[in-house]
Amino acid sequence: MKDTFSGLHPIVNFTYFTAVILFSMFFMHPVFLGFSLVSALIYSIYLNGIKAAKFNFLYMLPLLLLVALINPLFNHEGVTILLFINDNPITYESIIYGIASATMFISVIIWFSCYNSVVTSDKFIYLFGKIIPSLSLILSMTLRFVPKFKAQIKVISNAQKCIGRDVSNGNVLQRARNGIKIISILITWALENSIETADSMKCRGYGLKGRTSFSNYRFDKRDKSVLGTICGLILLMIFGMVLGENTIDYFPSIIFKEITIISAIVYIGYAALLLIPVALNIMEDIKWYHLKSKI
Amino acid sequence: MQSELNESNRISKRLVLTAAIILIAVPLTIAFGIFFLDDKKYYIISLLIIIYTMIPFFISFEKRRPQARELLVIAILCAITVAGRAAFVMLPQVKPVAAIVIISGVCFGPTSGFLVGAVSAFVSNIFFGQGPSTPWQMFCFGLIGFLAGILFRKGIIQKSRFSLCIFGGISVIVIYGGIINLSALLMFSAKFSWKALMTIYAAGIPFDLVHAASTMFFLVVLSNPMIVILDRIKKKYGLIET
Repeated sequence: MKDTFSGLHPIVNFTYFTAVILFSMFFMHPVFLGFSLVSALIYSIYLNGIKAAKFNFLYMLPLLLLVALINPLFNHEGVTILLFINDNPITYESIIYGIASATMFISVIIWFSCYNSVVTSDKFIYLFGKIIPSLSLILSMTLRFVPKFKAQIKVISNAQKCIGRDVSNGNVLQRARNGIKIISILITWALENSIETADSMKCRGYGLKGRTSFSNYRFDKRDKSVLGTICGLILLMIFGMVLGENTIDYFPSIIFKEITIISAIVYIGYAALLLIPVALNIMEDIKWYHLKSKI
Repeated sequence: MQSELNESNRISKRLVLTAAIILIAVPLTIAFGIFFLDDKKYYIISLLIIIYTMIPFFISFEKRRPQARELLVIAILCAITVAGRAAFVMLPQVKPVAAIVIISGVCFGPTSGFLVGAVSAFVSNIFFGQGPSTPWQMFCFGLIGFLAGILFRKGIIQKSRFSLCIFGGISVIVIYGGIINLSALLMFSAKFSWKALMTIYAAGIPFDLVHAASTMFFLVVLSNPMIVILDRIKKKYGLIET
């Protein structure tokens, strides 16, 4: 399925994920944790389909239980003691905190899996190319070299096979030695090749003033409105943070603010922020459905 | 002579920047954590500090406008590291990353060692998925490469299998294991306690040992051929150490 949010400007994508991942790490209030986990699940399944659902249930659910169990065993704070194991108190607060921190941990991991499929490396390099030009050049060249090396190692190993010196020839020791030989050939080739590339870059004026770089991203009206919404909601969250709507004390006993109209607004704002990509996708689907039915 | 002068000038500039960050930004962040976040968000504060410590390296690298050749060599070393990690991805903790980073640090100096470590950790996570531990891995591998470069320059480690292996084993257990286990604890634990730290270190020992043993194995196998190739390239094209 095509993701509408991925089609937006990289700045919008990056701002969204930075905010969402930081907030997910930050807000330990159960309502916020629940929203974050549910939205992360929805978006990851929307992005990656059955594969994401499988991953979430096969790996994330056991991890959640494990993290939730570990905490009460080491954390003996809290006033409500439920039972003693080897003279160590197991408290109600630490169990609840264990579940909360496990939820936080899992939702951050799932958000990262969404980040990986939306903010691709070309978007990252586009964003940071201006601020850290040399490093992002290294980054993009490294990304290019990895598949190139994989192809070249096949070429080298075929050539070595012709003279009976491939990893499939000889006894174990011989094979290992041939393998190392192939790797050193690859490294030599890569370095010699890179010097040639560097010289040709220099000839074409790399690093001179006034050079521009190509990109096919355009910041249009749609990006402006989505970025505006994201920034507005981030401000609302910071406002809520100042008021203490999303903080919670787990120790010594669980204390959080009563739910009022203001806190309800902050909750809704958080849900809206998290669900922006899903909402965009649904809007796009509806639009597409109507366009299709007209024809 | 000229390059030596530049070198010392650059290092002192980086020192000033590092000192500024460590003396001003880190205490401010810790104070923010204690007073505004009630001393409860260890993970975010420690993450910020880890990122701060990497900034001076990146800024000083950008500031001196590196030559294309230098960039290419670093990119090649990173790509070899990433490809190496991809080749052994089926075996948990068997990673040639630290070995190649150490060799790069020894051959091309501390700054290159740091960059190869940090960039290859970042790029390999682009292939295998970014996660909350990416900055920590960048920092650990970067630090291993940086230390390898510094210690080689001071003459404490040599370009011999034996001395590189010892450095590799110790650095992986102490630096990588020490820092990554700590970050795992900070990620999902409420209160920092020595008991929990000891437990997580104890639980991490098998993984760290496998990682250290694999690093030493890769150093035994790769160090001699790679050092010969890198030194030859350096001599042939007159690349300077950084």
